[in-house]
Amino acid sequence: MTDVLDQLQQLRDTERRVAMATLVAARGGSPRPLGAKLFVGAGGRLVGSVSIGGCVDARVIEHGERILGVAGGRCERVTVTVDDQEALELGLNCGAEFDLFIESLSLADDDPTMQLLRSAASAAAGGHAAYVVTQMSPASTARRVVMSEGRAIASSSAHTIPVDAVAPELQDLEKSAMRATPSGDVFIDRLAPPDTLVIVGASDVAAALSRFGHQLGMRVVVIDGRERYATRERFSQADEVRVGMPSELVRPYLVAGASIVLVAHEYKYELPILRDALRSPARFVGMLAGRKRADGIRTLLREDGLSEEQLARLHAPIGLDIGGREPEEIALSIAAQLIAVREGKAIGRRS
Amino acid sequence: MTTPYGATVLEHFRRPRNQRSLERPTASHEGYNPLCGDRVRLEVAIDDGVIQSAGFTANACAICTASASLLTERVSGSTVDVALAIRDDEAVEALNAELPPARLACALLPLRALREALGKARTPA
Repeated sequence: MTDVLDQLQQLRDTERRVAMATLVAARGGSPRPLGAKLFVGAGGRLVGSVSIGGCVDARVIEHGERILGVAGGRCERVTVTVDDQEALELGLNCGAEFDLFIESLSLADDDPTMQLLRSAASAAAGGHAAYVVTQMSPASTARRVVMSEGRAIASSSAHTIPVDAVAPELQDLEKSAMRATPSGDVFIDRLAPPDTLVIVGASDVAAALSRFGHQLGMRVVVIDGRERYATRERFSQADEVRVGMPSELVRPYLVAGASIVLVAHEYKYELPILRDALRSPARFVGMLAGRKRADGIRTLLREDGLSEEQLARLHAPIGLDIGGREPEEIALSIAAQLIAVREGKAIGRRS
Repeated sequence: MTTPYGATVLEHFRRPRNQRSLERPTASHEGYNPLCGDRVRLEVAIDDGVIQSAGFTANACAICTASASLLTERVSGSTVDVALAIRDDEAVEALNAELPPARLACALLPLRALREALGKARTPA
Protein backbone atom coordinates (compact mmCIF):
# COMPACT_ATOMS: atom_id res chain seq x y z
CA MET A 1 0.00 0.00 0.00
CA THR A 2 3.04 2.24 0.14
CA ASP A 3 2.39 3.59 -3.33
CA VAL A 4 -1.39 3.75 -3.15
CA LEU A 5 -1.50 7.53 -3.43
CA ASP A 6 0.83 7.45 -6.44
CA GLN A 7 -1.46 4.93 -8.06
CA LEU A 8 -4.54 7.02 -7.37
CA GLN A 9 -2.76 10.09 -8.68
CA GLN A 10 -2.10 8.29 -11.96
CA LEU A 11 -5.86 7.78 -12.35
CA ARG A 12 -6.98 11.27 -11.45
CA ASP A 13 -6.10 12.69 -14.86
CA THR A 14 -8.88 10.80 -16.55
CA GLU A 15 -11.02 9.13 -13.91
CA ARG A 16 -13.46 10.54 -11.36
CA ARG A 17 -14.44 7.26 -9.72
CA VAL A 18 -12.60 3.99 -9.28
CA ALA A 19 -13.07 0.61 -7.70
CA MET A 20 -10.25 -0.22 -5.30
CA ALA A 21 -9.68 -3.96 -4.87
CA THR A 22 -7.42 -4.99 -1.99
CA LEU A 23 -6.07 -8.52 -1.60
CA VAL A 24 -7.08 -9.42 1.96
CA ALA A 25 -6.64 -13.20 2.11
CA ALA A 26 -5.15 -15.95 -0.02
CA ARG A 27 -5.38 -19.71 0.19
CA GLY A 28 -3.12 -21.97 -1.82
CA GLY A 29 -0.39 -19.36 -2.14
CA SER A 30 -0.20 -15.85 -3.53
CA PRO A 31 2.77 -14.29 -5.27
CA ARG A 32 1.56 -10.83 -4.22
CA PRO A 33 1.54 -9.79 -0.56
CA LEU A 34 -1.71 -9.12 1.27
CA GLY A 35 -2.63 -5.49 0.79
CA ALA A 36 -1.80 -5.51 -2.94
CA LYS A 37 -4.22 -3.33 -4.88
CA LEU A 38 -5.85 -3.11 -8.26
CA PHE A 39 -7.71 0.05 -9.27
CA VAL A 40 -10.41 -0.12 -11.91
CA GLY A 41 -11.46 3.25 -13.32
CA ALA A 42 -15.07 3.93 -14.22
CA GLY A 43 -13.68 5.02 -17.59
CA GLY A 44 -11.84 1.71 -18.05
CA ARG A 45 -8.29 2.47 -16.93
CA LEU A 46 -6.41 -0.04 -14.79
CA VAL A 47 -3.57 0.58 -12.34
CA GLY A 48 -1.88 -2.00 -10.11
CA SER A 49 -2.58 -5.69 -9.71
CA VAL A 50 -3.48 -8.26 -7.09
CA SER A 51 -1.78 -11.17 -8.85
CA ILE A 52 1.33 -11.71 -10.92
CA GLY A 53 -0.52 -12.92 -13.99
CA GLY A 54 -3.85 -11.85 -15.40
CA CYS A 55 -6.13 -14.73 -14.47
CA VAL A 56 -7.20 -13.31 -11.10
CA ASP A 57 -7.05 -9.67 -12.11
CA ALA A 58 -9.50 -10.25 -14.96
CA ARG A 59 -12.13 -11.50 -12.54
CA VAL A 60 -11.43 -8.74 -10.07
CA ILE A 61 -11.99 -6.20 -12.84
CA GLU A 62 -15.42 -7.70 -13.48
CA HIS A 63 -16.31 -7.36 -9.80
CA GLY A 64 -14.91 -3.84 -9.75
CA GLU A 65 -17.05 -2.77 -12.67
CA ARG A 66 -20.11 -4.29 -11.03
CA ILE A 67 -19.46 -2.41 -7.79
CA LEU A 68 -18.92 0.86 -9.68
CA GLY A 69 -22.41 0.39 -11.07
CA VAL A 70 -24.08 0.37 -7.64
CA ALA A 71 -25.70 3.73 -6.99
CA GLY A 72 -24.75 5.32 -3.67
CA GLY A 73 -21.52 3.38 -3.31
CA ARG A 74 -20.68 -0.14 -2.30
CA CYS A 75 -17.98 -2.15 -0.60
CA GLU A 76 -17.86 -5.90 -0.16
CA ARG A 77 -15.59 -8.86 0.24
CA VAL A 78 -15.52 -11.27 -2.70
CA THR A 79 -13.79 -14.58 -3.23
CA VAL A 80 -12.11 -15.43 -6.52
CA THR A 81 -11.16 -19.01 -7.23
CA VAL A 82 -8.72 -19.87 -9.98
CA ASP A 83 -10.67 -22.68 -11.57
CA ASP A 84 -9.97 -22.29 -15.25
CA GLN A 85 -11.30 -25.57 -16.62
CA GLU A 86 -8.92 -25.67 -19.56
CA ALA A 87 -5.91 -25.02 -17.32
CA LEU A 88 -7.23 -27.65 -14.93
CA GLU A 89 -7.38 -30.27 -17.68
CA LEU A 90 -3.84 -29.41 -18.76
CA GLY A 91 -2.59 -29.73 -15.17
CA LEU A 92 -1.72 -26.03 -15.04
CA ASN A 93 -4.25 -24.84 -12.48
CA CYS A 94 -2.59 -23.40 -9.35
CA GLY A 95 -5.68 -24.08 -7.25
CA ALA A 96 -5.41 -20.77 -5.41
CA GLU A 97 -8.28 -18.86 -3.89
CA PHE A 98 -8.22 -15.17 -3.12
CA ASP A 99 -10.40 -12.86 -1.03
CA LEU A 100 -10.62 -9.25 -2.11
CA PHE A 101 -12.24 -6.26 -0.51
CA ILE A 102 -13.61 -4.14 -3.31
CA GLU A 103 -15.05 -0.65 -2.86
CA SER A 104 -16.03 2.30 -4.98
CA LEU A 105 -14.17 5.56 -4.37
CA SER A 106 -14.47 9.11 -5.55
CA LEU A 107 -11.13 10.63 -6.51
CA ALA A 108 -12.19 14.09 -5.29
CA ASP A 109 -9.81 15.75 -2.83
CA ASP A 110 -12.51 15.96 -0.17
CA ASP A 111 -13.56 12.32 -0.43
CA PRO A 112 -13.35 10.88 3.11
CA THR A 113 -11.54 7.72 1.99
CA MET A 114 -8.98 9.75 0.02
CA GLN A 115 -8.37 11.94 3.07
CA LEU A 116 -7.99 8.88 5.25
CA LEU A 117 -5.50 7.24 2.89
CA ARG A 118 -3.58 10.50 2.75
CA SER A 119 -3.32 10.55 6.56
CA ALA A 120 -1.95 7.03 6.58
CA ALA A 121 0.56 7.74 3.80
CA SER A 122 1.67 10.91 5.54
CA ALA A 123 2.38 9.04 8.79
CA ALA A 124 4.43 6.42 6.92
CA ALA A 125 6.36 9.07 5.02
CA GLY A 126 7.14 10.65 8.37
CA GLY A 127 8.84 7.45 9.52
CA HIS A 128 6.00 5.86 11.52
CA ALA A 129 4.17 2.73 10.39
CA ALA A 130 0.46 3.33 9.82
CA TYR A 131 -2.24 0.67 10.03
CA VAL A 132 -5.46 1.06 8.06
CA VAL A 133 -7.98 -1.13 9.87
CA THR A 134 -11.02 -1.90 7.71
CA GLN A 135 -14.20 -3.71 8.70
CA MET A 136 -14.81 -6.47 6.14
CA SER A 137 -18.59 -6.32 6.23
CA PRO A 138 -20.57 -5.09 3.18
CA ALA A 139 -21.83 -1.51 3.29
CA SER A 140 -22.28 1.56 1.13
CA THR A 141 -18.99 2.98 2.46
CA ALA A 142 -16.11 1.13 4.10
CA ARG A 143 -15.67 1.56 7.84
CA ARG A 144 -12.07 2.32 8.71
CA VAL A 145 -9.74 3.62 11.35
CA VAL A 146 -6.12 4.61 10.73
CA MET A 147 -3.81 3.83 13.64
CA SER A 148 -0.26 5.07 14.09
CA GLU A 149 2.00 5.33 17.13
CA GLY A 150 -0.62 3.59 19.26
CA ARG A 151 -3.53 5.91 18.55
CA ALA A 152 -6.25 6.55 15.98
CA ILE A 153 -5.22 9.38 13.63
CA ALA A 154 -8.21 9.24 11.28
CA SER A 155 -11.50 7.41 10.86
CA SER A 156 -14.04 7.09 8.11
CA SER A 157 -17.22 8.05 9.91
CA ALA A 158 -19.09 8.07 13.15
CA HIS A 159 -19.32 4.29 12.84
CA THR A 160 -16.96 2.65 15.22
CA ILE A 161 -15.05 -0.48 14.41
CA PRO A 162 -13.43 -2.86 16.90
CA VAL A 163 -9.86 -1.53 16.85
CA ASP A 164 -9.42 -2.33 20.53
CA ALA A 165 -9.31 -6.01 19.64
CA VAL A 166 -6.31 -5.53 17.35
CA ALA A 167 -4.60 -2.40 18.69
CA PRO A 168 -2.27 -4.21 21.15
CA GLU A 169 -0.59 -6.25 18.41
CA LEU A 170 -0.14 -3.49 15.83
CA GLN A 171 3.27 -2.45 17.12
CA ASP A 172 4.68 -5.90 16.36
CA LEU A 173 2.80 -6.51 13.12
CA GLU A 174 5.27 -6.64 10.24
CA LYS A 175 2.90 -7.37 7.37
CA SER A 176 -0.68 -6.68 6.41
CA ALA A 177 -3.02 -9.29 7.86
CA MET A 178 -6.65 -10.31 8.43
CA ARG A 179 -7.89 -10.63 11.99
CA ALA A 180 -11.11 -12.08 13.42
CA THR A 181 -12.76 -9.97 16.10
CA PRO A 182 -16.00 -10.44 18.07
CA SER A 183 -17.60 -7.93 15.69
CA GLY A 184 -16.38 -9.65 12.53
CA ASP A 185 -13.25 -9.74 10.42
CA VAL A 186 -11.03 -6.69 10.00
CA PHE A 187 -8.19 -6.30 7.55
CA ILE A 188 -5.09 -4.48 8.81
CA ASP A 189 -3.27 -2.84 5.93
CA ARG A 190 0.23 -1.90 7.10
CA LEU A 191 1.93 1.09 5.51
CA ALA A 192 5.57 0.85 6.39
CA PRO A 193 7.96 3.77 6.22
CA PRO A 194 10.12 3.26 3.14
CA ASP A 195 13.31 1.28 3.65
CA THR A 196 16.37 3.52 3.58
CA LEU A 197 19.19 2.72 1.18
CA VAL A 198 22.40 4.60 1.88
CA ILE A 199 24.93 4.46 -0.94
CA VAL A 200 28.45 5.64 -0.13
CA GLY A 201 30.58 6.51 -3.14
CA ALA A 202 28.95 8.39 -6.02
CA SER A 203 30.17 6.07 -8.78
CA ASP A 204 28.38 4.80 -11.87
CA VAL A 205 27.35 1.71 -9.90
CA ALA A 206 25.88 4.06 -7.30
CA ALA A 207 23.97 5.97 -10.00
CA ALA A 208 22.41 2.77 -11.32
CA LEU A 209 21.69 1.47 -7.80
CA SER A 210 20.00 4.74 -6.82
CA ARG A 211 17.64 4.33 -9.77
CA PHE A 212 16.83 0.73 -8.81
CA GLY A 213 16.35 1.74 -5.19
CA HIS A 214 13.94 4.49 -6.20
CA GLN A 215 11.95 2.09 -8.37
CA LEU A 216 11.77 -0.37 -5.48
CA GLY A 217 10.19 2.29 -3.28
CA MET A 218 13.24 2.90 -1.11
CA ARG A 219 14.34 6.21 0.33
CA VAL A 220 17.73 6.65 -1.35
CA VAL A 221 20.55 8.65 0.23
CA VAL A 222 23.83 9.12 -1.66
CA ILE A 223 26.94 10.14 0.28
CA ASP A 224 30.44 11.04 -0.88
CA GLY A 225 33.33 13.21 0.19
CA ARG A 226 33.77 14.47 -3.37
CA GLU A 227 31.37 17.16 -4.53
CA ARG A 228 32.21 16.68 -8.21
CA TYR A 229 30.79 13.15 -8.05
CA ALA A 230 27.85 13.49 -5.69
CA THR A 231 25.73 15.87 -7.73
CA ARG A 232 22.00 16.19 -8.23
CA GLU A 233 22.57 15.87 -11.96
CA ARG A 234 24.11 12.41 -11.55
CA PHE A 235 21.60 11.31 -8.90
CA SER A 236 18.33 12.87 -9.98
CA GLN A 237 16.22 10.09 -8.43
CA ALA A 238 17.93 10.05 -5.04
CA ASP A 239 15.97 11.52 -2.13
CA GLU A 240 19.13 13.07 -0.67
CA VAL A 241 22.61 13.73 -2.02
CA ARG A 242 25.07 14.64 0.73
CA VAL A 243 28.71 15.73 0.54
CA GLY A 244 31.03 15.91 3.55
CA MET A 245 32.80 13.56 5.95
CA PRO A 246 31.20 10.25 4.88
CA SER A 247 31.60 8.44 8.23
CA GLU A 248 29.75 11.29 9.96
CA LEU A 249 27.07 11.66 7.29
CA VAL A 250 26.26 7.93 7.45
CA ARG A 251 25.83 7.82 11.24
CA PRO A 252 22.17 9.00 11.47
CA TYR A 253 21.16 6.23 9.07
CA LEU A 254 22.66 3.34 11.06
CA VAL A 255 19.27 2.16 12.29
CA ALA A 256 17.23 -1.03 12.05
CA GLY A 257 15.87 -1.61 8.57
CA ALA A 258 18.48 0.52 6.80
CA SER A 259 20.81 -0.82 4.13
CA ILE A 260 24.32 0.58 3.91
CA VAL A 261 26.05 -0.05 0.59
CA LEU A 262 29.67 1.00 0.10
CA VAL A 263 30.65 1.32 -3.54
CA ALA A 264 33.39 3.93 -3.11
CA HIS A 265 36.16 1.32 -3.34
CA GLU A 266 38.17 3.62 -1.05
CA TYR A 267 39.49 2.30 2.26
CA LYS A 268 39.59 5.89 3.54
CA TYR A 269 35.78 5.83 3.62
CA GLU A 270 35.22 2.10 4.11
CA LEU A 271 37.18 1.59 7.33
CA PRO A 272 35.68 4.42 9.43
CA ILE A 273 32.17 3.69 8.18
CA LEU A 274 32.38 -0.07 8.71
CA ARG A 275 33.69 0.36 12.27
CA ASP A 276 30.34 1.95 13.12
CA ALA A 277 28.02 0.21 10.65
CA LEU A 278 28.95 -3.34 11.64
CA ARG A 279 28.23 -2.49 15.28
CA SER A 280 24.88 -0.91 14.38
CA PRO A 281 21.45 -2.51 13.99
CA ALA A 282 21.41 -1.77 10.22
CA ARG A 283 19.76 -4.63 8.34
CA PHE A 284 22.38 -4.82 5.59
CA VAL A 285 25.99 -3.71 5.33
CA GLY A 286 27.77 -4.47 2.07
CA MET A 287 30.91 -3.39 0.27
CA LEU A 288 31.98 -3.51 -3.36
CA ALA A 289 35.29 -5.38 -3.34
CA GLY A 290 36.93 -8.51 -4.68
CA ARG A 291 37.39 -11.36 -2.25
CA LYS A 292 41.08 -10.62 -1.57
CA ARG A 293 40.49 -6.94 -0.90
CA ALA A 294 37.43 -7.71 1.24
CA ASP A 295 39.52 -10.10 3.34
CA GLY A 296 42.13 -7.36 3.76
CA ILE A 297 39.48 -4.94 5.03
CA ARG A 298 38.21 -7.62 7.44
CA THR A 299 41.74 -8.12 8.77
CA LEU A 300 42.11 -4.40 9.51
CA LEU A 301 38.68 -4.27 11.17
CA ARG A 302 39.55 -7.31 13.26
CA GLU A 303 42.67 -5.49 14.47
CA ASP A 304 40.41 -2.54 15.31
CA GLY A 305 38.49 -4.76 17.70
CA LEU A 306 35.45 -5.90 15.74
CA SER A 307 34.23 -9.36 16.69
CA GLU A 308 33.91 -12.29 14.27
CA GLU A 309 30.14 -12.01 14.63
CA GLN A 310 30.24 -8.36 13.59
CA LEU A 311 32.61 -9.09 10.69
CA ALA A 312 30.30 -11.86 9.47
CA ARG A 313 27.61 -9.24 8.89
CA LEU A 314 29.63 -7.66 6.10
CA HIS A 315 28.44 -8.65 2.63
CA ALA A 316 31.65 -8.45 0.63
CA PRO A 317 31.92 -9.13 -2.21
CA ILE A 318 28.52 -7.52 -2.47
CA GLY A 319 25.68 -8.61 -4.75
CA LEU A 320 24.26 -11.88 -6.00
CA ASP A 321 26.42 -13.86 -8.40
CA ILE A 322 24.68 -13.18 -11.73
CA GLY A 323 27.92 -12.72 -13.64
CA GLY A 324 27.42 -9.10 -14.75
CA ARG A 325 30.31 -6.63 -14.96
CA GLU A 326 28.69 -3.41 -16.22
CA PRO A 327 27.66 -0.81 -13.60
CA GLU A 328 23.96 -1.45 -14.18
CA GLU A 329 24.47 -5.21 -13.92
CA ILE A 330 26.43 -4.92 -10.68
CA ALA A 331 23.79 -2.54 -9.30
CA LEU A 332 21.07 -5.03 -10.25
CA SER A 333 22.90 -7.82 -8.40
CA ILE A 334 23.14 -5.58 -5.31
CA ALA A 335 19.47 -4.59 -5.47
CA ALA A 336 18.51 -8.26 -5.75
CA GLN A 337 20.64 -9.08 -2.70
CA LEU A 338 18.97 -6.30 -0.68
CA ILE A 339 15.61 -7.92 -1.39
CA ALA A 340 16.93 -11.41 -0.62
CA VAL A 341 18.28 -10.28 2.75
CA ARG A 342 15.05 -8.45 3.57
CA GLU A 343 13.10 -11.62 2.80
CA GLY A 344 15.53 -13.87 4.70
CA LYS A 345 16.65 -15.80 1.60
CA ALA A 346 20.14 -17.31 1.55
CA ILE A 347 21.25 -17.27 -2.08
CA GLY A 348 24.57 -17.06 -3.88
CA ARG A 349 26.85 -14.11 -3.38
CA ARG A 350 29.22 -12.76 -6.00
CA SER A 351 32.61 -14.43 -6.04
CA MET B 1 48.94 -4.21 6.00
CA THR B 2 52.07 -3.33 4.01
CA THR B 3 52.89 0.15 2.83
CA PRO B 4 55.56 1.53 0.54
CA TYR B 5 55.78 4.61 2.72
CA GLY B 6 57.53 3.24 5.79
CA ALA B 7 56.96 2.34 9.40
CA THR B 8 56.05 5.85 10.63
CA VAL B 9 53.16 6.22 8.21
CA LEU B 10 51.91 2.74 9.00
CA GLU B 11 52.17 3.25 12.75
CA HIS B 12 50.31 6.58 12.73
CA PHE B 13 47.68 5.32 10.28
CA ARG B 14 46.87 2.23 12.29
CA ARG B 15 47.25 3.85 15.72
CA PRO B 16 46.53 7.52 15.11
CA ARG B 17 47.15 9.93 17.98
CA ASN B 18 44.55 12.57 18.82
CA GLN B 19 41.92 11.16 16.46
CA ARG B 20 38.95 12.57 18.31
CA SER B 21 36.62 15.52 18.43
CA LEU B 22 37.38 18.11 21.10
CA GLU B 23 34.59 18.97 23.52
CA ARG B 24 35.05 22.71 23.21
CA PRO B 25 37.37 23.59 20.34
CA THR B 26 38.39 27.22 19.98
CA ALA B 27 38.46 26.75 16.22
CA SER B 28 38.33 24.04 13.60
CA HIS B 29 38.70 23.66 9.87
CA GLU B 30 37.88 20.82 7.49
CA GLY B 31 40.43 20.38 4.73
CA TYR B 32 39.39 18.64 1.55
CA ASN B 33 41.13 17.33 -1.53
CA PRO B 34 38.54 17.55 -4.31
CA LEU B 35 40.30 15.08 -6.55
CA CYS B 36 40.98 12.12 -4.26
CA GLY B 37 38.29 12.87 -1.69
CA ASP B 38 40.53 13.02 1.39
CA ARG B 39 38.83 14.89 4.22
CA VAL B 40 40.43 15.91 7.50
CA ARG B 41 39.03 18.21 10.19
CA LEU B 42 41.56 19.80 12.58
CA GLU B 43 40.34 21.12 15.92
CA VAL B 44 42.31 23.17 18.43
CA ALA B 45 41.60 24.35 21.96
CA ILE B 46 43.66 27.49 22.65
CA ASP B 47 44.21 29.28 25.92
CA ASP B 48 46.34 32.39 26.23
CA GLY B 49 48.11 31.77 22.93
CA VAL B 50 48.91 28.14 23.73
CA ILE B 51 47.35 25.14 21.98
CA GLN B 52 46.12 23.15 24.96
CA SER B 53 44.91 20.27 22.83
CA ALA B 54 44.53 19.36 19.17
CA GLY B 55 42.38 16.66 17.63
CA PHE B 56 41.36 15.50 14.20
CA THR B 57 38.73 13.51 12.35
CA ALA B 58 39.71 11.97 9.03
CA ASN B 59 38.22 10.02 6.19
CA ALA B 60 41.53 10.04 4.45
CA CYS B 61 44.37 7.93 3.08
CA ALA B 62 47.17 6.52 5.23
CA ILE B 63 49.55 9.39 4.43
CA CYS B 64 47.02 12.09 5.24
CA THR B 65 45.88 10.35 8.44
CA ALA B 66 49.45 9.76 9.61
CA SER B 67 50.34 13.37 8.84
CA ALA B 68 47.39 14.62 10.91
CA SER B 69 48.40 12.33 13.77
CA LEU B 70 52.02 13.53 13.75
CA LEU B 71 50.99 17.16 13.40
CA THR B 72 48.53 17.15 16.31
CA GLU B 73 51.17 15.47 18.49
CA ARG B 74 53.67 18.15 17.56
CA VAL B 75 51.47 21.21 18.15
CA SER B 76 49.78 20.10 21.37
CA GLY B 77 51.26 22.34 24.07
CA SER B 78 53.00 24.70 21.66
CA THR B 79 52.15 28.33 21.05
CA VAL B 80 50.01 29.37 18.12
CA ASP B 81 52.99 31.25 16.69
CA VAL B 82 55.19 28.16 16.77
CA ALA B 83 52.47 26.07 15.13
CA LEU B 84 51.99 28.64 12.40
CA ALA B 85 55.72 28.56 11.68
CA ILE B 86 55.74 24.85 10.75
CA ARG B 87 56.92 24.64 7.16
CA ASP B 88 55.55 22.29 4.47
CA ASP B 89 58.85 20.41 4.19
CA GLU B 90 58.87 19.80 7.95
CA ALA B 91 55.43 18.21 7.83
CA VAL B 92 56.52 15.97 4.95
CA GLU B 93 59.82 15.03 6.61
CA ALA B 94 57.98 14.00 9.77
CA LEU B 95 56.44 11.12 7.82
CA ASN B 96 59.91 9.67 7.28
CA ALA B 97 58.89 8.37 3.87
CA GLU B 98 59.76 8.70 0.20
CA LEU B 99 56.58 10.30 -1.09
CA PRO B 100 55.92 10.60 -4.80
CA PRO B 101 55.10 14.22 -5.79
CA ALA B 102 51.48 13.28 -6.45
CA ARG B 103 51.04 12.41 -2.75
CA LEU B 104 52.42 15.63 -1.29
CA ALA B 105 48.93 17.12 -1.26
CA CYS B 106 47.84 14.25 1.01
CA ALA B 107 50.71 14.90 3.42
CA LEU B 108 50.07 18.64 3.55
CA LEU B 109 46.27 18.66 3.86
CA PRO B 110 46.32 18.51 7.70
CA LEU B 111 48.88 21.34 7.95
CA ARG B 112 46.76 23.53 5.69
CA ALA B 113 43.68 22.75 7.75
CA LEU B 114 45.60 23.61 10.93
CA ARG B 115 46.70 26.97 9.51
CA GLU B 116 43.09 27.76 8.58
CA ALA B 117 41.86 26.80 12.06
CA LEU B 118 44.51 28.91 13.76
CA GLY B 119 43.67 31.81 11.47
CA LYS B 120 40.02 31.55 12.52
CA ALA B 121 41.06 31.48 16.17
CA ARG B 122 42.94 34.74 15.71
CA THR B 123 40.08 36.43 13.91
CA PRO B 124 36.89 35.17 15.54
CA ALA B 125 33.74 35.54 13.45
